[in-house]
Amino acid sequence: MNICILSWEYPPRIVGGISRHCHGLARALTKMGHSVHLVTLDFPGAPYYEEEEGVKIHRTSVELGHPNFIVWVFLFNHFMEKKVAMLSKHEKFEIIHAHDWLVAPASISSKHYLNVPLVSTIHSTEVGRSRGLHNSDSYLIDGIEWWLTYESKRIIVVSDSIKREVKEHFHLPDEKIDVIPNAIDPSKYNVSINRDEVKRRFSIDPSERIVLFIGRLVPQKGVEYLIMAAPKIIGQHPEARIVIVGDGWSKDYLMRLASSTGCQHKITFLGFLSDQDLIELTLSSDVLVVPSIYEPFGIVALEGMAAGVPVVASNTGGLSEIIEHDKTGFLAYKENPDSIAWGVNKILSDPGYASWLMQNAKRKINEVYSWNAVAKRTVETYEKALWG
Amino acid sequence: MSSKFTSIPDEIYLLCILHNIGATEPNRALTLEEIARWTAMDHFKAEQSLNKLIENKYIEVIEAMGAKKYFVSVGGIRKVLSMYS
Repeated sequence: MNICILSWEYPPRIVGGISRHCHGLARALTKMGHSVHLVTLDFPGAPYYEEEEGVKIHRTSVELGHPNFIVWVFLFNHFMEKKVAMLSKHEKFEIIHAHDWLVAPASISSKHYLNVPLVSTIHSTEVGRSRGLHNSDSYLIDGIEWWLTYESKRIIVVSDSIKREVKEHFHLPDEKIDVIPNAIDPSKYNVSINRDEVKRRFSIDPSERIVLFIGRLVPQKGVEYLIMAAPKIIGQHPEARIVIVGDGWSKDYLMRLASSTGCQHKITFLGFLSDQDLIELTLSSDVLVVPSIYEPFGIVALEGMAAGVPVVASNTGGLSEIIEHDKTGFLAYKENPDSIAWGVNKILSDPGYASWLMQNAKRKINEVYSWNAVAKRTVETYEKALWG
Repeated sequence: MSSKFTSIPDEIYLLCILHNIGATEPNRALTLEEIARWTAMDHFKAEQSLNKLIENKYIEVIEAMGAKKYFVSVGGIRKVLSMYS
């Protein structure tokens, strides 16, 4: 099968989970023998064309800009569409696969002029991310999301919770939607590290135990609830240090909030880290906290489980499906610092419990969340779009 | 999404605009005058915001023909994209 994937992010342009998802999926599809062309946006230092593990990556330059974000999105879609059109002179694509609303215009146009089915993965929705539609931009994005689902022959979502959301909000027939979870590559955690050295590299004392958060610093990730839990965690475990990895527009607010807890000396903001640093820091951590308010899937929870780090996550969305409470992790009440602190403290206080969670979690990762399994199911969706 | 932009600091608003208009590499860097025009900010406010962004490594500065020019760094691009993803 000759597949053209469109995504606004692809490594090294890593923003959220979409980049890692497309990277894993594209490589797995290639390993299965399919031809995969991935059209994405350029990024400083990355070549405009490269082939990586068989995946043909085409990076598009956005030659015109506009201060308004939505206008900019439509502009870059024009350049993506132009790229797909140029490629199609030599490639006979059989499927267009779009990832989220950001590439909807280019994907829909490509579907029509190439006369091939469009498959879309909806990673999240505007109504979910913004907890409602509160302004004209949100209404427009919501409309584009609906348009994408309408134009797609089949829709892929990453969890049952987002299937419900998409189906009800966009009034889609149940049979048009396939649930295919995200996956990760657990082998990347098979590295030997010196935890003390890793901690020192990030100015963390080797005697300290790391309570880790990884993600974008935006309200939907609920970092504030972890920060608010800090006094109760540090009060019971003075050796704990809360380490926050990532960046986002609410960083300043979160840093001010950390200062107000009286525990700011125990909360570290590290900003964006490279993949290698992230792997080593995760392996050096004692607990991973995923305090999201809205999380259609929650790939970061899988990363923690694969790395052998016990996970405390909000009981919401995809996280509730990934984690079995008290078996493969700890599910805390959403937006509840006390519940987060209780879970973290239980794991830090009871090594036997932590070890039991880790073993169960690793087993589940290997059984359910492999890229091979996800790629096979994605091909089944492509086949349904082509011949179903 | 606009509600996010009314509640974010001036310098992040400016960073987003620089990103969206494509000032993301040295050969597309802009002078302070050009930035003030694009963002409709006065020079003082624009310069103040740029200095904060430089301090946080979200903006880089180059000298071209005797003028300072500014462009969004890799970290700055990620900062902007994290708001939209």
